[in-house]
Amino acid sequence: MTKCILIVDDEADVREVTKLGLEMSTDWQILTAASGADAIAIATQEHPDAILLDMMMPDMDGRATLKRLKADTTQAIPIILVTAKAHSSNQQDFDSLDVAAVLAKPFRPLKLAAEISRILDWS
Amino acid sequence: MTAGAPPYRADVLAIDDTPENLQLLSQLLTERHYKVRSVTKGRTALRAAQAAPPDLILLDINMPEMGGYEVCERLKADDITREIPVIFISALGETLDKVRAFEVGGVDFVTKPFQVEEVMARIETHLQLCRLRQQLQAQNVRLQQEIRDRKRAQETFTKAFRSSPSPIAITTLESGRFLEVNASFLALSGYTRPEVIGFRLDELALGLDMNRYHQGRAQLEQAGVLHNWEFELFTKAGERRTVLLSVENIELEGQPCALAIANDITERKRLENEFISLVSHELKTPMNSMIGALDLLGTGQLGPLTDQGQQMIAMAINNAERLVRLVNDILDLERMKSGTLTLHPQDCCLSDLFKQAVTVMQPMAQEADISLVVEPVAVTLHVDGDRIQQLLTNLLSNAIKFSSPGGTVWLSASLNAPATPPPSSTLYPSTPTLHITVRDQGRGIPPEKLDLVFDRFQQVDASDARAKGGTGLGLSICRQIVQQHQGQIWAARAPEGGSIFHVLLPLTTDMTDVIDEVVHD
Repeated sequence: MTKCILIVDDEADVREVTKLGLEMSTDWQILTAASGADAIAIATQEHPDAILLDMMMPDMDGRATLKRLKADTTQAIPIILVTAKAHSSNQQDFDSLDVAAVLAKPFRPLKLAAEISRILDWS
Repeated sequence: MTAGAPPYRADVLAIDDTPENLQLLSQLLTERHYKVRSVTKGRTALRAAQAAPPDLILLDINMPEMGGYEVCERLKADDITREIPVIFISALGETLDKVRAFEVGGVDFVTKPFQVEEVMARIETHLQLCRLRQQLQAQNVRLQQEIRDRKRAQETFTKAFRSSPSPIAITTLESGRFLEVNASFLALSGYTRPEVIGFRLDELALGLDMNRYHQGRAQLEQAGVLHNWEFELFTKAGERRTVLLSVENIELEGQPCALAIANDITERKRLENEFISLVSHELKTPMNSMIGALDLLGTGQLGPLTDQGQQMIAMAINNAERLVRLVNDILDLERMKSGTLTLHPQDCCLSDLFKQAVTVMQPMAQEADISLVVEPVAVTLHVDGDRIQQLLTNLLSNAIKFSSPGGTVWLSASLNAPATPPPSSTLYPSTPTLHITVRDQGRGIPPEKLDLVFDRFQQVDASDARAKGGTGLGLSICRQIVQQHQGQIWAARAPEGGSIFHVLLPLTTDMTDVIDEVVHD
């Protein structure tokens, strides 16, 4: 069964490049959301298999969105955080968060699918 | 007698209306090395005394025109001559006259005919008394000046203490009991004066790390002063503040005390964190789209590419990636320098750290046809593993970059002190240290550049940055990491050719785990 991924990022360019990259390397269905509020609405309705969630967004940031997603019917959906701030130095800061993984920006869209499959143990 | 002093014992003014008496006195005194001025009239004596005040006056009582008593009274009425001791010499021996002599201000009385030794003894005694009195007065003036100076200094200190915008506290060194705090301290801590004064540091819920406090105290005892010592404390309301403390030893009411001046950097740290976080995001987000778009273009799936087109895209991706590394390095360096990137020390096994570093660097080494040789020792370090990892990979990546194909890079450790000591030894000599070296067979660093390579954007050859794809910040970062671990790093020329980078890390570093960074991104 084909997978469904929700990309949440306030930057239109990032959404487009990520979506295209995933579409070119997989047959997954790709959904996008430009804000935390949109993400919650789409996730609740579509129940994607995973969510790629940007950390730094205006209004409702990744942390707040994550909290809402984990407190709702969407709580079982694995979430991969995407952040421009993560490198080895502050990995510890994310340890307390209920996420499947933290990916550092910038990432390579063509390698993303393999990375996601590895993290979520999709064969 | 000191050099420059007059060649006579004292200047004596003798007044007697009988020239024979005067001559006798003058002769006796001159023989004993006094300078003598003799006058026969009271008025002349007054003028002489005013013109050049003598050290002592010998005064006859019975004289025509102006008697000895009147001369004495006039001398005592004049500021210039008031302090000159006057000894009366007279044939009159009645008690009443002696009383009069003292009443008008005389200091002594000698009756004629006099015994020479007695007169000399009395003269010497009064000269001595006079000198002592003058010394006492001078001392008194000095003391009063000193008291005024001290009062002024104390007032200045009190004012500075009271109105300083920096929180200041004085505590006893022995038990850490608060003796005095200023208004800024109360404002920062949220406590009132009665809640602080007389209490010990550990009795207030300031949340101070007492272990660190005792360490600092030991350091203070050694050096007498501590500068910019970072500390966390809780206010009465439970708010966490970060302060830089500067502490000096002082003595107050006879007991050794610590004068601590705090600089609240909580807001500065927050802003720095926020700024770095923002810059990080703002720079990396567009690069994310850029590299992603180039990557997708490069697949050719969006349209066929010529070989040259493919090359151009590879070049663009390479440079974009270099830009990302540069941004990462600059941010790392900034955060280390500003103290916002703090260490998270844990017990780490050195051979694991070596293994991880080599795993990360192996692909790069293979591509450059370089062999990596690892010689670890079995030792556990209390360090921030991620940082040491960064240190090792930076050093290895440098060594690989500057080696020729077919060469070898050695990563070694030893518990022995290095054979050649560091250029400047600032490490506590008593602490056992771990000695790590990274050696290559490259062209080596010219001697005059050995110190410079740790500065930002300092490369041995300006073209290196482009040729090797480095950021010019790697060694600066290494130095920051080593310094944060209270170690030392330096570069040398390997005897066999090539470069050797030495790192000394204290084995028993007790670094305090300062709070985790707040993640804004």
